Amino acid sequence: MSLIVRELVLPLVPFTLEVSVELSARTTGLYGPSGAGKTTLLELIAGVRKPQSGTIELNGRVVCGEGIFVPPRLRRVGYVPQDDALFPHLSVRQNVFYGAAGDRAGAVVDVLEIAPLLDRGVKRLSGGERKRVALARALLSNPEMLLLDEPLAGVDVPLRDRVLEYLVRIRDQFSIPTIYVTHHMDEVRAICEELVVLERGRVEGKRPIEGVAKDADRPHSP
Amino acid sequence: MTAEELQVLGLTLRTAALSTLVILPPGLAVAWLLARRNWRGKSLVETLITLPMVMPPVATGLILLELLGRRGPIGGWLDRTLGLQIVFTWRAVVAAMMVMSFPLLVRAARVAFEEVNPRFEQIARTLAAGETRVFFTITLPLAARGITSGVLLAFARAIGEFGATILVAGNIPGRTRTLSLAIYDLVELGRDGEAFRLLGVAVVIAFAAVWTAEAFLRRTHESHRP
Amino acid sequence: MRRPLVLFALLLAFASPHAAAAAEVRVFAAASLTDALRDAAAVHERQTGDRVVFNFAASSTLARQIEAGAPADLFLSADEEKMDALAHAGLIVASTRVSVLSNTLVIVVPKDRGMNLPSPRALVNVKTLALAEPSRVPAGIYARRYLVAQGLWDRVAAKVIPVENVRAALAAVESGNADAAIVYRTDALISHDVRVACEIPRASGPRISYPFALLRDAEEPAAARRLLAFLRSKTARAIFARYGFLTL
Repeated sequence: MSLIVRELVLPLVPFTLEVSVELSARTTGLYGPSGAGKTTLLELIAGVRKPQSGTIELNGRVVCGEGIFVPPRLRRVGYVPQDDALFPHLSVRQNVFYGAAGDRAGAVVDVLEIAPLLDRGVKRLSGGERKRVALARALLSNPEMLLLDEPLAGVDVPLRDRVLEYLVRIRDQFSIPTIYVTHHMDEVRAICEELVVLERGRVEGKRPIEGVAKDADRPHSP
Repeated sequence: MTAEELQVLGLTLRTAALSTLVILPPGLAVAWLLARRNWRGKSLVETLITLPMVMPPVATGLILLELLGRRGPIGGWLDRTLGLQIVFTWRAVVAAMMVMSFPLLVRAARVAFEEVNPRFEQIARTLAAGETRVFFTITLPLAARGITSGVLLAFARAIGEFGATILVAGNIPGRTRTLSLAIYDLVELGRDGEAFRLLGVAVVIAFAAVWTAEAFLRRTHESHRP
Repeated sequence: MRRPLVLFALLLAFASPHAAAAAEVRVFAAASLTDALRDAAAVHERQTGDRVVFNFAASSTLARQIEAGAPADLFLSADEEKMDALAHAGLIVASTRVSVLSNTLVIVVPKDRGMNLPSPRALVNVKTLALAEPSRVPAGIYARRYLVAQGLWDRVAAKVIPVENVRAALAAVESGNADAAIVYRTDALISHDVRVACEIPRASGPRISYPFALLRDAEEPAAARRLLAFLRSKTARAIFARYGFLTL
């Protein structure tokens, strides 16, 4: 699987996002300070935002650029935003199965252990449960790529390891290429095989995980 | 209530209900476009829609009379091709109600649509939902309370319609004499007691509609957050 | 340079016989009198320097307004009942009450493509008949009385479109929105877009009479009396006759 981004440009405030990068690992961490443009980049890849110029190629298919714009519903990209965005007027089951395709349903529900949650209302979920449900919803749409925006944000410390464990399980069980946005190095080390650093809208570096250890102690404000 | 009063009430409720039903699809469509899209003539459209709310109702009635009369562009066409007459029939009552209550519906529905977090619609699209599915499963349900409030206000406005109606529909007992027209008639005849009775009915209906509309608006703000 | 001019202007003002008498007379008048009255009032204004301000509407509406305390000096009604009601309430100066005019009813149809109605009986063939509100406006009451007396009302009632006043009935036919209307002959004469299909014969028709009176609470009684006197004069009668009114 591959994601190729070529000269993707989008003016933001106060800088302009300009990204060229090629990703081929199973799980890539997207790391950088707050406001660097990480969420924006995910939105561009998912297709919910349009760039000013540039191309995005998913698995050899141009989804953006060269006069083409493939809408999100045809991109097969699963997007889990930072605030989960669970549909408040639908039940857990309706959320999870909203975009269901393929025959992965049973496996996903099992791996994420959300069977007991299915008949609940969305408002009755705890923080960790919300994350799992949002993840399940994205996975059930049978995506070719998964975009996770700070999946552990807002999760209480004692729960983080548990949720992280679920994420690792997902990675291992389904092997869907994933971009994992965070500004916590320990998460990067726990789950990512590659790291891309984004600062003020530009890629400052891309390296496999082992080589990151020395730069890890540079402070990045959350 | 006397049989005559019941007839007036029945006619008023039926025409107001029909009017509200008919403006609902175009009203929601226009409201959605105003909430989610921009285009060059947008301010003009916004102004035109708001016009019936601020123009003197009789002025609006006059315009309707010109358009829907037997010699007017719309009324003439309907008369020639379908043999249908609009003015001085219940159809004119509905037409007047539609024009006067349309802005209220559009404004309320637009706000309701604007308050739906676009994030939900975006996520739905990544989950392979087409625009129609997004609208009916995400946007509309989340805007439902505000829209209901708009529907109730439009209904109440339709019931209270007078100025345009009397010009374009006349005051025909049993056919176009709505609640407001009946009250006016009774006052003109000096039958104040009966006028006040009907006035009471009108007030009760308006009060109930507006109260419920406000209640729906109040609950909207608690109901959803991403 | 300016002082002589000012003096001159003042002299003129005082010298004019009209100066001391200039007043504003408020007249509430039946809608059918609109055009004739405007002409008559113009003549009166030129002669006396008074100003005449009109409120034209259905006599029933005007009577209600007067009862509710609307400020007016003269009431010119299209039927005796409305004047009787005000007299009963003590709102008119009874000694000034006088009936000067009468009228006839006609049936009008649109000028082009209007139906052929050789007699009132033919009304059973129309789809819509515009009448000034037959329960309270004089023109409508007169029309209804006639139709009842002729045994036609039951067959015609369902076709009736009640409108605000007799001019609105005329307008409904002018615009083609009603097949026919019963209005005063004087209304038909001033309209270019209707044709008189037939007349309601005076012999079997209702007795139409326009009573005029000074109102008790008039603010300009002297000027109002002057106008009333003028309206009874030969000059005014000639104007009314020109518009098709019958003078009593």
